[in-house]
Amino acid sequence: MITTLHHATGPMLSKPTELEILLSAVAAGDQAAFGMLYQATSAKLYGVALRILRRRDLADEVIQEAYVRIWNNAATFDSSRASPITWMVSITRNRALDEVRRASHLAIETTPEALDVADDAMLASERVELASDLARLRACLDDLEPDRREIVRLAYLDGLSREELGLRFGHPPGTIKTWLHRSLKQLKSCLTP
Amino acid sequence: MIESDDIDELAGEYVLGTLDAGERASIAARRKREPNLDAAIRDWERRLAPLDADTRAVAPPADLFGRIARRIEATGEGAVTELAEVRRQLRRWRKIGIAASLVAATLVVTTGIREVVWQPMPQTYVAVFAKDDILPAFYMTFDLARRELTIRPVDAQRQPGKTYQLWIASEQLGPAPQSLGLMDDTMAPTTKVISQYDQGLLQRATFGVSLEPSGGSPTGAPTGPALHAKLLPLGK
Repeated sequence: MITTLHHATGPMLSKPTELEILLSAVAAGDQAAFGMLYQATSAKLYGVALRILRRRDLADEVIQEAYVRIWNNAATFDSSRASPITWMVSITRNRALDEVRRASHLAIETTPEALDVADDAMLASERVELASDLARLRACLDDLEPDRREIVRLAYLDGLSREELGLRFGHPPGTIKTWLHRSLKQLKSCLTP
Repeated sequence: MIESDDIDELAGEYVLGTLDAGERASIAARRKREPNLDAAIRDWERRLAPLDADTRAVAPPADLFGRIARRIEATGEGAVTELAEVRRQLRRWRKIGIAASLVAATLVVTTGIREVVWQPMPQTYVAVFAKDDILPAFYMTFDLARRELTIRPVDAQRQPGKTYQLWIASEQLGPAPQSLGLMDDTMAPTTKVISQYDQGLLQRATFGVSLEPSGGSPTGAPTGPALHAKLLPLGK
């Protein structure tokens, strides 16, 4: 029998990050939380989409689809498997890559549009979390031969296809594919403790 | 382990982005029914995610959020609060032992310069009442400006002959919790306006839900098992 209310206290084993709290509220249909989530992450996601797509009209479209997906799928986000920002970037990259592969002429021909660089509104706690992972990944990338490192970066960050990478580096796409597979294998073993 | 190597290669290339449109579509379909492929993709997303730090953030057009909001409204899914989903979230938070810390967590969001226009954004707070052996979890949203709370049971159960009573406790109010009234229905959301309290008090107060006989506590104080939570800001 509890007869008085006391101030709730409890173990603080692992505090959810701000983005986890927001995503959880979004999963419950909280529109205000969705607005906050957008404010905190949209410049990051827009930067990712625009770098791959190189056209604002396409980035606008992809970002809209990505946030609709984030709204609809927030309940499937699993904090034990990914950080919120990794989850949201993956949704965005997948949409952007689908788009750029569907219209494969875009990436080579189009010069990137001038970018208004925004304050990176991503939350400080997420950045801290990423810093040590970034150092580790950089060290592993540095172990790759320079061409292969550059290929991994151009593929992941700029969305270049095997064909585009082949043209740029003077090799057939099949060779690029082999290099990619070896680089991935090497990266994985370097990153796996 | 040739097969798992293949899966890992495919997943890695899918995440890198170098597969062609047909291959991408095929992987996207396969991952829905092949958990090991899906897991390999997530592993690669996690491994390569630090690279995202090298991409500069770019402000999206000011009207983009409005366009997103209209799309969500058009699909008709925006208005629904899906309690099953809240339940899932709560269960997971609870499992990793953090539900209790939610009440203490503060939310500090770096807001950009963009104005978000969806509807006039209320100062919204939430409180999550973690369930115990007897009581279900509750999820409360609170509009501070209107001092209007809506509380929903997450694991709705019939409680024959019983009702839930809401309470507020604050040092300013003295040692005894004050009743905020009964939930209209043990299965459905209840909305109450509590304009008798000032905003500062509400932001710091502890809220409670107790299980009481029909008609409410006979003593004016909670008599049954109770859950407690504080408000967590979601608005500015």
